[in-house]
Amino acid sequence: MFAAQLALNALALGAAYALVAIGFVLVLNATTAVNFGHGDTVVAGGFLAVALATLMPGELAVPGLVLLPAILALMALFGALMSWLVYLPIRDRPPVTTFITTIAFGIIIANGVNALFGGAPRSAPTLIGGGGFSAGELFLSRQSVAIVGVSAVLIAGLALLLNRTQLGRQLRACAQDPEMAQAVGIHLTRMTVITFALAAALAGAAGLLLANQFFVTPSDGGVLMLKAYIAVTIGGWGSLRGAVAGALLIAAFEVAVASQISQPVAEGLLYVTLFIVLFFRPQGLFGEPVGQRA
Amino acid sequence: MPTPSSLLALIGVACGAFALTNAASAQSKPVTIPVLVPLTGFLSLEGTSQRNGADLALREVADDSVRYDVSDTATSPEVAVNALERAMTGDNVVAVVAPMLGTQMLALVPLADEFKVPLVTVSGTAKITELGSPNVYRFFPGDVVVKQAHARYAVEELGIKKPAVVFQTTAYGQSGRVELTRNLQALGSPPVIEEAIDVSVKDMLPVLSKVRAAGADALLLHLHAGSTALVIKQARAAGINLPIIAGSAMHQPQTAALLEPSELAGVCAESGSSPISGGNPKIDDFAKRYRAAFDSEPDAFALGQYDAVRMILAAVNAGARTPDAIRQALANNSHDGLAMRYRSDGKGNMAHDAVIICYDGAGRTPNIVKRYENVTGAR
Repeated sequence: MFAAQLALNALALGAAYALVAIGFVLVLNATTAVNFGHGDTVVAGGFLAVALATLMPGELAVPGLVLLPAILALMALFGALMSWLVYLPIRDRPPVTTFITTIAFGIIIANGVNALFGGAPRSAPTLIGGGGFSAGELFLSRQSVAIVGVSAVLIAGLALLLNRTQLGRQLRACAQDPEMAQAVGIHLTRMTVITFALAAALAGAAGLLLANQFFVTPSDGGVLMLKAYIAVTIGGWGSLRGAVAGALLIAAFEVAVASQISQPVAEGLLYVTLFIVLFFRPQGLFGEPVGQRA
Repeated sequence: MPTPSSLLALIGVACGAFALTNAASAQSKPVTIPVLVPLTGFLSLEGTSQRNGADLALREVADDSVRYDVSDTATSPEVAVNALERAMTGDNVVAVVAPMLGTQMLALVPLADEFKVPLVTVSGTAKITELGSPNVYRFFPGDVVVKQAHARYAVEELGIKKPAVVFQTTAYGQSGRVELTRNLQALGSPPVIEEAIDVSVKDMLPVLSKVRAAGADALLLHLHAGSTALVIKQARAAGINLPIIAGSAMHQPQTAALLEPSELAGVCAESGSSPISGGNPKIDDFAKRYRAAFDSEPDAFALGQYDAVRMILAAVNAGARTPDAIRQALANNSHDGLAMRYRSDGKGNMAHDAVIICYDGAGRTPNIVKRYENVTGAR
């Protein structure tokens, strides 16, 4: 029963991490550059949820779920703005330039949030109310179940968008071969802006999901960015399936492995696993062999 | 034509007048007290409290005899060192409000010795007053004081026999863990389990499950604010209703705001003081002025830093206008602050009292349930 409890907790945490990692991969594929400000975008989403919650009537039973569409829309706009500010003006420069601009943008987000809300941890509203259900020793918290459900819907929606729509095909074409995509008439800049918007929307949703059960502070961005980076490296650089698998693996180490040994040792073992994966399968669990994509 | 003796007398008078003018000028010249605190990064909550406490004390100076500037030291030692070097270029700097982040303080102490300027802080890191520097003055009870109160309350007042100790992996957490465990062992109730957690850990079920499996009869925490609230919230959700005695992070109103009053039932914490708990008219007045100035609730860090700056200002009013004179005042005088009576133990530890606060489960304002005065006998 305890193992089931651990599995549920790991699944809820991993589902939220997966949204973070997927947003990270989308931008990575579209720009071939790492967005180091992605963790801070998640923090921005969490604080947006905190701010919007103050506008909601207190008696509403499902404030978090009601807020979700607004957060997705506002964060998408934020992502578009981010692309115009930190990527498009320097897209022809070496990738290291993008590293610097996204790091700077992340610092601006963190310090801006700190100035607006203060440095204290804050809690966003629950998605569908607090409490939960007990089955023997197993406790199903409503929030955990809602996190898994909302994450699954968002990931499935993204998969449908990418695989079943013309926009999705254009986005994938730009990610796979930007020059060829442009040659056949796809507007590369527009696709890049849409990609940033999608990534930020998912980051905002992750911020909302994480900020109730696990709180949010202005300085959380660095840690979330690191988790996304590790998830994508383990899962496969550029692979959406890999990002989800990597995120779930991180959560499994944080919850299940840590319950058997100490948390610091579990964290160390996660990095050992990362080294092993990189040694035996440098392209990651779901990545393409090096050179195949070209 | 003046004689040689009258010429000498004239020179003597001129020198005397010059010396008197200089002395008068030194007395009237404004002194500067830079405020260097972490306003961004993971310690910004506590750093803002520290800034506010210093700011409130300095605002109360009616004239322009004291100047101050606030600088953000963020979280890295390098930024703190740069901030101190820049601050020391100011005019007539007599003392510095230094960051509460222990790693920054450890970097600043050698520099303060070089500049020969006293630092006043509310950092809890034990080592900063163990470096043999005459320039460090700590106005918040260190781990030696508060962890003794922490352990004594658990064992002597609550009758805890099998405590579980959960601490942060940071320097702050490890320093407190050593003192807490040492005191628990001395009291005959050694921890049945000690678990470290990183500040980035979100799910506390693994550590809580180990606490339950170890058969602990109380949970003793030494964690930062976010981790403290996460452990309490998730322990209550998992049906773990053990008494919880937390570190000073739990006395902060912002930490209590993360939890429901029902989750706070059975939760206590150690602290240097608790300005929002009421019962003392002077502290109530401080809390009222603090709320009016900053639109937030004061905590013990703010009150400790307020008292520290008030002690410096008292020395300035008594004629101390140089770093050396301020250092002498801090090292040798005692000061009746709002939180407690401060006096150096010879190493710069000024605070020797601690309180235990507890929440009643009906609200988020804690009550002071126990005071431990002059814990180390150094005052």
